[in-house]
Amino acid sequence: MQAEELYGRQLCLTPAEAREMPATTVKLPSMQVTKTLIQCCRCGSDLNRQLAQLPAAQFYCYQCLTLGRVSTLTSLYHIPEPNKFKADTTLTWTGQLTAAQATCAAELQQHFSKREQHLLWAVTGAGKTEMLFPGIAWALAQGWRVALASPRVDVCLELYPRLQAAFAHLPIALLHGHNPAPYQYCQLTICTTHQLLRFRAAFDVLIIDEVDAFPFAANPRLAYAVKQARKPESALLYLTATPSQALLKQVRHRTLSISYLPLRFHQHLLPPIRVSLQPRWWAQFQQGHLPTKLRRWLQQYVTVHQRFLIFVPRITQLAVVQQVIATAFPTLKGLTVHAADAQRLEKVQAMRTQQVQYLVTTTILERGVTFPGIDVIVLGADDAVFSTAALVQIAGRAGRSAQRPTGLVRMVVSHYTRPLKAAQRQIKQVNRKGRRLRAKMSTLSATTEV
Amino acid sequence: MTLPWLLSWQTWPHPVVCPTCWQTFERITPATACISCGRQLTRRQMCSDCQRWPSQPRFYNQALFCYNAAMHDYFQRYKFQGDYRLRAVFAAAMQQRLATLAADCVVAIPVTPATMQYRGFNQVTGWLGTGLNDPVGLQTIAQTKARPQSQKTRAERLTTSQPFSLSSTFTVTNQRVVIVDDIYTTGRTIRHAADLLLESGAKSVIGLTLAR
Ligand SMILES: [Zn+2]
Ligand SMILES: [Zn+2]
Repeated sequence: MQAEELYGRQLCLTPAEAREMPATTVKLPSMQVTKTLIQCCRCGSDLNRQLAQLPAAQFYCYQCLTLGRVSTLTSLYHIPEPNKFKADTTLTWTGQLTAAQATCAAELQQHFSKREQHLLWAVTGAGKTEMLFPGIAWALAQGWRVALASPRVDVCLELYPRLQAAFAHLPIALLHGHNPAPYQYCQLTICTTHQLLRFRAAFDVLIIDEVDAFPFAANPRLAYAVKQARKPESALLYLTATPSQALLKQVRHRTLSISYLPLRFHQHLLPPIRVSLQPRWWAQFQQGHLPTKLRRWLQQYVTVHQRFLIFVPRITQLAVVQQVIATAFPTLKGLTVHAADAQRLEKVQAMRTQQVQYLVTTTILERGVTFPGIDVIVLGADDAVFSTAALVQIAGRAGRSAQRPTGLVRMVVSHYTRPLKAAQRQIKQVNRKGRRLRAKMSTLSATTEV
Repeated sequence: MTLPWLLSWQTWPHPVVCPTCWQTFERITPATACISCGRQLTRRQMCSDCQRWPSQPRFYNQALFCYNAAMHDYFQRYKFQGDYRLRAVFAAAMQQRLATLAADCVVAIPVTPATMQYRGFNQVTGWLGTGLNDPVGLQTIAQTKARPQSQKTRAERLTTSQPFSLSSTFTVTNQRVVIVDDIYTTGRTIRHAADLLLESGAKSVIGLTLAR
């Protein structure tokens, strides 16, 4: 094992590995055991004494086992981050930021340089990754260590090739539970938030993407990981399209500053959610009937060849809904797809290549998957499976092309729910800001033209 | 470790795993298992692997489950990841089968001191009680260059020399002994232990393993 594998990290080593480490290595207790408390020093979990028990009065942490077991039989080893980087950090990305993106990017870089905490609220489809490039490039040029973490593996997998293309000469570490490649000491790291538990005071800039996504929002252990992984004096940036109440509260209390990017990359607003009250929609489907309004919408889609997604709350409803639609419109081609669907990728591909005109799906397509220019219908948007964040994300699937930037978002419900109202409010709020920003930009361009 | 002492142990709350997960473990039917190693066959006979061992009429092995993908995952998490809580999954099954064997003496296969140092428990006695190596009974002999069994090929495993010794205070003369281990793979480990016990005067030896 190389010493640099311990730079800014905290790992359990075997006694043999520990002996090879340099004198600067810090040995830290792995667990805190008192009469009343058993706590893991890596993940911060308070543990149940009985469950954490090993023979001979030893203890282990059952909460962060997948990262390699922490127990009272071992210590954690750490070497303070030396920022020993030699790689070429040139930004090789040659794209152009829009004026709004550039303003945001400059703000982010400011906050990085001042080592501050900051929140970027960018609507879905705003192009937030590109906005990070200037700030990251600046930080790397200072010799800073930077990490981009997300609670979701798929977000990490999507970010990695984009960052690697943007910094073509820089080795980037990609860390997640399913990556068998050995760890590499790199100036830029992309990882799941879970992997942050292996770091200690490592990062000068730590960016958390999709901060609102499951399971980060409700997981205090990962908040602990963020705190552990960044240096005491460091910048922390949260990225989100759907900020949680907890984050917005910090903003209101001014413990967290905020930037907005309320416009999508094509300068258009988010499509508003149109709610349609149809209390008997599911009963009608079960009887084999297509609700009247839905029939009218679909008729229109058939006529103009508009592509669309239908979301339903439960996997068991997929087949029923698709069957009724197929009976009513035999020429309309569609498929059902859900998270555990073995043919998921093929089906999404069929939608992409326009072999089918629509998909009936559960919440799985809410993030990441984009089909330019589609409309969206959510059946049963009042169901508890749809959180505010999920509804805003689903709405954000529509209108993601410069050719057809608007897109319709319709939600069929029995009654209004709090998350639904909150989603409508959130979209209105960003659109208000978006309108203001557009007005400001048009006066700006008007004055420069004069 | 004696039987009355064993039975005095608290029983585990059941079921520990949900029925769906429990079903992924494949029970071995004793009526159609190999008479020598306990692996699942279609009828009761000696399997081809066992026919290659020198005949030893005073030893046979019983196993509770097939070593399938679910069992592989179980050992990954229990033994290699070290999630000691998972001893509860098979504790009752192992203790119940052990009780039916009515042994005079039960010995568990020990783990090496190095393993005890980093894993912190003996996976076999985890099911049966303390989670520690038996203080008397089978002891591991310190080997010069020990590689874990799991990293060896079958041929390498079969030529391994006797890894155990018996504590000087431990007698098995004329006793029916049960040796408990986690997995019967080639049979080399448990047969070494059986040979040692039989040479030391045991009347008969039954192996009991969770998986085969
Ligand atoms: Zn832990
Ligand atoms: Zn056999």
